[in-house]
Amino acid sequence: MHETIFSFRNVRFRFPDDEQLTLTDLSFDIHRGERVVISGPSGCGKSTLVYLLNRLYPFNCDGIISGSLQLFGKDAEEYAPGEINHRIATVFQDPDSQFCMPTVEEELAFTLENLHVPREMMKQKITEVLALTGLSALRHEVIQSLSGGMKQRVAAACALVMEPEVLLLDEPISHLDPVTAKEFILWLDRLQHELDLTIFAVEHRLDLWDSFFSREIQLDRSGSIIGDKLATAHFPVLLPERASTMVPETVLKVNGMAVKSHGKELLSGLSFTANRGEIMVVAGPNGSGKSSLLKALCGIYALDAGSIQAPGIGFVPQSPEYLFLEKTVGRELAFSGIASSAQLNDLMERLRLKEIENAHPFSVSHGQKRRVATGAMLADRRTVLLMDEPTSGQDAAALHELHRLISERADEGVTFLIVTHDMEFAESLADSVLLIKDGKMTGKYPAQDVWNHAELLAEHHLLPPKGAGRLAESFA
Amino acid sequence: MRNLLHDMNPSLKFVLVALSMFAIAFFFNPLTPFIFWIGILLLQVFMSKVNWKAWSLFMLPFALGAFGYLWTTIVFAADTNGDVVWSFLEFQVTAEQLETALSLAFRVMAFSTLSLMFAFTTDPVKFIMSLMQQLKLSPKLAYGVLVGYQFLPVMKDQFQQIQQAHRLRGAELEKNALRRLLGMRRILIPMLAGAVRNAERSAFAMEARGFTGEARSDYFEVIKLRKVDAAMTAVFLLLLIASCSAEYWF
Amino acid sequence: MLKSWKLKEVVLMSLFAVVFGIVYLVFVHVSNIWAAVIGPLAYEWMFGIWFIVSIICMNIIRKPGAAVLSESMAAAIEVLLGNAVGPRLLLSGIVQGLGAEAAFALTGYKHFNLAVLMLAGAGSAVFSFVYGYFISGYAALDPSFVALMFTLRVISGMAIAGIGGKFISDGLLATGSLRGYAISRSTKGDARA
Repeated sequence: MHETIFSFRNVRFRFPDDEQLTLTDLSFDIHRGERVVISGPSGCGKSTLVYLLNRLYPFNCDGIISGSLQLFGKDAEEYAPGEINHRIATVFQDPDSQFCMPTVEEELAFTLENLHVPREMMKQKITEVLALTGLSALRHEVIQSLSGGMKQRVAAACALVMEPEVLLLDEPISHLDPVTAKEFILWLDRLQHELDLTIFAVEHRLDLWDSFFSREIQLDRSGSIIGDKLATAHFPVLLPERASTMVPETVLKVNGMAVKSHGKELLSGLSFTANRGEIMVVAGPNGSGKSSLLKALCGIYALDAGSIQAPGIGFVPQSPEYLFLEKTVGRELAFSGIASSAQLNDLMERLRLKEIENAHPFSVSHGQKRRVATGAMLADRRTVLLMDEPTSGQDAAALHELHRLISERADEGVTFLIVTHDMEFAESLADSVLLIKDGKMTGKYPAQDVWNHAELLAEHHLLPPKGAGRLAESFA
Repeated sequence: MRNLLHDMNPSLKFVLVALSMFAIAFFFNPLTPFIFWIGILLLQVFMSKVNWKAWSLFMLPFALGAFGYLWTTIVFAADTNGDVVWSFLEFQVTAEQLETALSLAFRVMAFSTLSLMFAFTTDPVKFIMSLMQQLKLSPKLAYGVLVGYQFLPVMKDQFQQIQQAHRLRGAELEKNALRRLLGMRRILIPMLAGAVRNAERSAFAMEARGFTGEARSDYFEVIKLRKVDAAMTAVFLLLLIASCSAEYWF
Repeated sequence: MLKSWKLKEVVLMSLFAVVFGIVYLVFVHVSNIWAAVIGPLAYEWMFGIWFIVSIICMNIIRKPGAAVLSESMAAAIEVLLGNAVGPRLLLSGIVQGLGAEAAFALTGYKHFNLAVLMLAGAGSAVFSFVYGYFISGYAALDPSFVALMFTLRVISGMAIAGIGGKFISDGLLATGSLRGYAISRSTKGDARA
């Protein structure tokens, strides 16, 4: 066995404002060269664990820690601020909030300046790490103009320029679409082989990682270890199959839709219809016009040509809180004054919002926020609902909650248009799939015709759903 | 020649701008700010590459402001004794009043031109880097400000999305200024809540890369004080002295 | 002074400054046109909006320096955003921040109730007025007109920055996103007086 680099003995951690522990009696060792993943549901303290290793906690949150935590054979608290960070580097989850300088080169230089690298050596180190990571072409690019996947690679390059021994990964793919995430993982895999890094990751959706990890430590909701084993490939979250409750009655009719913005054509020639209770998945590469389609349908963008016929179209953005205007959930639903109080009561009952009726809409969980936003739309009699990337960054429990929300509403006759890259999620719900590319419609297909059409999916930057996984689990 | 103002050390340029403003503020004759204004304009014409169309667009509101200031100073002047040079309705304008009014209006023009000169010839990131290197600004503050700068496009987009979402719910931005001010809360709260989240993430990302806020021992991009800066300082001071002593020559 | 500051608090001030920078853009747009018609009075009634960021940041972070640092950073951000008034804003930002800071210092950084926040708004107004008196040459104006400007500015500072700042920081506190900041920890009367 290789040298032990991290050693946890009965480590407990709690935030000063909390009564209960975030991490409970953790005891384990991490050895050099291991590829460990910490798995568990959202809120189980996985990120806290990462922040204890790179010494962001306990200082940054004034957290209370007990037990013994050793890093490279020395007590964690003996390290001065910043001392450990070049040995233990981190890549975080949000590609938009990891940078402080305009260009890739300047960001790398910022990192080297932090480490007091002499100026003469900076240029060379930057050139080397860019060559190693295959990012040389991006050297002078403005970071904010890069795609999410490229930003994550730049973040990793910034970590690697410090020549670390350990790479911490805090859900690094949760903001990436599956194809981009896969590419990122393969890229990381190559780097790990070349550099012989120790990898310590936290992740709640492991299916895309295949056999990247060698060991998996599972945490439960209370932050205790419930499993420490050899890692195996994971299947995607298994969602219940749904019998369609679509009614043959056209509620949405789009004819020859075109949208322009600042003289640029975003969408052109889109024509399709949707039935009452139909769940339609809208998919296509990034920048193909999916979001523009949603915005045009609900009237945020004006149409350049064509027409939309529908009773009332509602929109649930990726951040549902953008819709919120009031101080309680109850008043949020009642905002427009369209629905009667009996109707509101019934709606809150069905959406399970009664228990949070008096809570502040910003303070509830993400899944609850989405239910509040859905409720607000339905209270305004908007019976065609648009959802933008609702599965992004969601753990298994949240996916089940989302699945139930959509499925139950569709049973009640609500029509859905859901933009997503998640084909497993799509397969479990969709009646139909609308594929878009370069602002044009490839076609609207019955859902089952799409899943095995690997070429068609690949053309639209999508991975086929892991149907094999579903089968294997149902036989198990 | 056309690069001189762009090449100047940003901190030095800032200090000179501040110094000029404080000096000019002591003068209430029209000549001093007028000469200074023309001087700054000439500097900009000959020593910078400025998009004059954009410049005029930015200058327009200031010119309007200067006009507003002109008539306010005439109507609400402190000193109303002296020879009347002009009168209309019940207002009587004395020579002294007119002089002060012109002086203050030129002052607005001079300061605005000075500010625009700085804004048009200074790279924002270099300015912050220079504040750190020349004026010993704390890296914690300097990089804190730079993070904010990086977030500008993200937050502008967020602002737009929230506005669109609110419009969808039938909550329009009010036309009436006071209502608009009160209605801002609805946009501000989600924006600020997002800012709290992003602030923590960004700060963590920086600290995870070894940033402690302590002084740096070496900079990748060194911003220096050079000969051109000495020359430009001389030019600025000359202009300043000429303007301040203008009254004695004429 | 900066030693005791967490980086996330500094970055928070910076990002708040960006949010208000975007808001200011919406406002200053309107007020410049007015300025031509009704002169410097156009700005006075809404001057308080320039002070609000220092009061919100101080109310959230509650450390000496929060007011002056946040207002200065807000001004620096304005410069970075290419605000045409750029370098002038940096100076007036520091002065305004000092005004609010003085009010908090007077109360020993112990109380953050509405009265203190309004006092801080008034502090910013007074400091910025003295600075403006000098830089913009208010001395040339009729004293009663100057008095009117001063009164308007102080009222605006107390109402928009003081009450508005309280209103917004309470609104933000209610969303639950300020966990881990001083404002969340003070559950006693002071915070919501």
